[in-house]
Amino acid sequence: MNKSYNFAFFDEGSKREIRRATLKAIAIPGYQVPFASREMPIGRGWGTGGLQLTLSLIGKEDVLKVIDQGSDESVNAVNIKKLVSDTTGIRTTDSTREATLIQSRHRVPEVSLQQDQILILQVPLPEPLRSFEPSEYETKKLHAEREYSGAWLMLFEQIMKYGTMATDADHPVMVHDRYVSAPSPIPRFDNPKLDYSEALILLGAGREKKVYAVPPFTKVTSLAFDDYEFEKESFANRECILCTSKDVFLDELVDQDTGATYFQCNDTSNCLDIVNQKQSLGVK
Amino acid sequence: MKLDVVHDLQAVYRKLVDATSRPGTVMDLQREVRALDVQANCLSATILFALTVLDPEVTFKVITKQEETVSRLINQLTYSKSVDVSDADFIFILEDALHEEMEEALNQAKVGNLSNPHESAMIILEVSDVTKGKSMKLSGPGIQGETILNMQNVPNWMAMRNEKNVEFPLGIDMYFLDHQHQLLAIPRTTQIKENGWEIKWDM
Repeated sequence: MNKSYNFAFFDEGSKREIRRATLKAIAIPGYQVPFASREMPIGRGWGTGGLQLTLSLIGKEDVLKVIDQGSDESVNAVNIKKLVSDTTGIRTTDSTREATLIQSRHRVPEVSLQQDQILILQVPLPEPLRSFEPSEYETKKLHAEREYSGAWLMLFEQIMKYGTMATDADHPVMVHDRYVSAPSPIPRFDNPKLDYSEALILLGAGREKKVYAVPPFTKVTSLAFDDYEFEKESFANRECILCTSKDVFLDELVDQDTGATYFQCNDTSNCLDIVNQKQSLGVK
Repeated sequence: MKLDVVHDLQAVYRKLVDATSRPGTVMDLQREVRALDVQANCLSATILFALTVLDPEVTFKVITKQEETVSRLINQLTYSKSVDVSDADFIFILEDALHEEMEEALNQAKVGNLSNPHESAMIILEVSDVTKGKSMKLSGPGIQGETILNMQNVPNWMAMRNEKNVEFPLGIDMYFLDHQHQLLAIPRTTQIKENGWEIKWDM
């Protein structure tokens, strides 16, 4: 552990500021609370919002897991883990069950979350209305007035153009029947996991200086129409090439030699767990 | 033992997070209170709360018979300034506050505006025990189905609180601290019912 920094990198004043914003965010589900967003040793837009939340929450007893697109070992995840453990001395893990804090980019883990865990999502664009309204002043007014026809119209136009809602990730959600929010660019596959989640979910956008939250057991519905229902990505008749799991989010990959496509689990630690379990049972 | 402003206050904050995200759940601050070596005319848990959230960027107001002493102490510990109740970000209502004073404070507490509902006051209320008293049913975000709250003197503040929170997302978030160093939160989203019926209040 690097002792030349304060515990968890931040000075106590910065932590207090983020903490006050976080408490308000939990009290007003889905509402984006502005916060100061301090300068971090990684670039804005590389997970600084999530990182700041993690650093404001973390204590000596915590066990941290960081994932980037489902992987524990990608550059972004490894660097964030290094920074946090270097300035706190806490233990990191790949196991979803073991972790008390889970910081994630673009995925909700396949293993269902528990009451004593907090999921922290890194958010690049926290404003679901930004694509049609560039002014922050205006979008704040739209949220205040619960005026979400723009969000509906966006989905409607996609249906007119493509015959289906074409949001591949970051499909907007309605939180506690009040605020339309961006669930961060998680695949549609993960949207239902936010609904009545056992764990607290915090979302942090460092560049845009916003934090918001989905408390446990809170209603989260993905925006959809009566005749065009919300649909998850379909992996019908597909399975992971390594662990043969079916009901998980799969990445489509191409075999360089044969040119054939195959599918593999996106959540690497879950995939590894299943493979290990099968091997210890002697299954080929 | 002396209070560790980094680790002990982090522990208090995590309990605040748990309490806010699971309304009605009782959190225990005993370990942190034992480390606190400040003598005050308020509960030790109140001082811990103040140390965790207050600094010069925010303001507070204390409602008590000994306002001057307690306000000065909190100001010395946190450098936060005491202001009028209608401007305060944090309102501490101590046990010796009169009923009318509490009502007045709740009445004047800021609830934010529709563009900025986070610019509302947090109310910290000292009570004798957060686990003994008439039972109420809580529901809303953070609660699986319903949960039971047993707290004394709930009717004292409930009508006023419901009135303040009538237009979500505007409202006040309430935290309760007691002599056993326990903490409990009722944010603005929580619905409180008695015997299956919502308590009526005069509009």
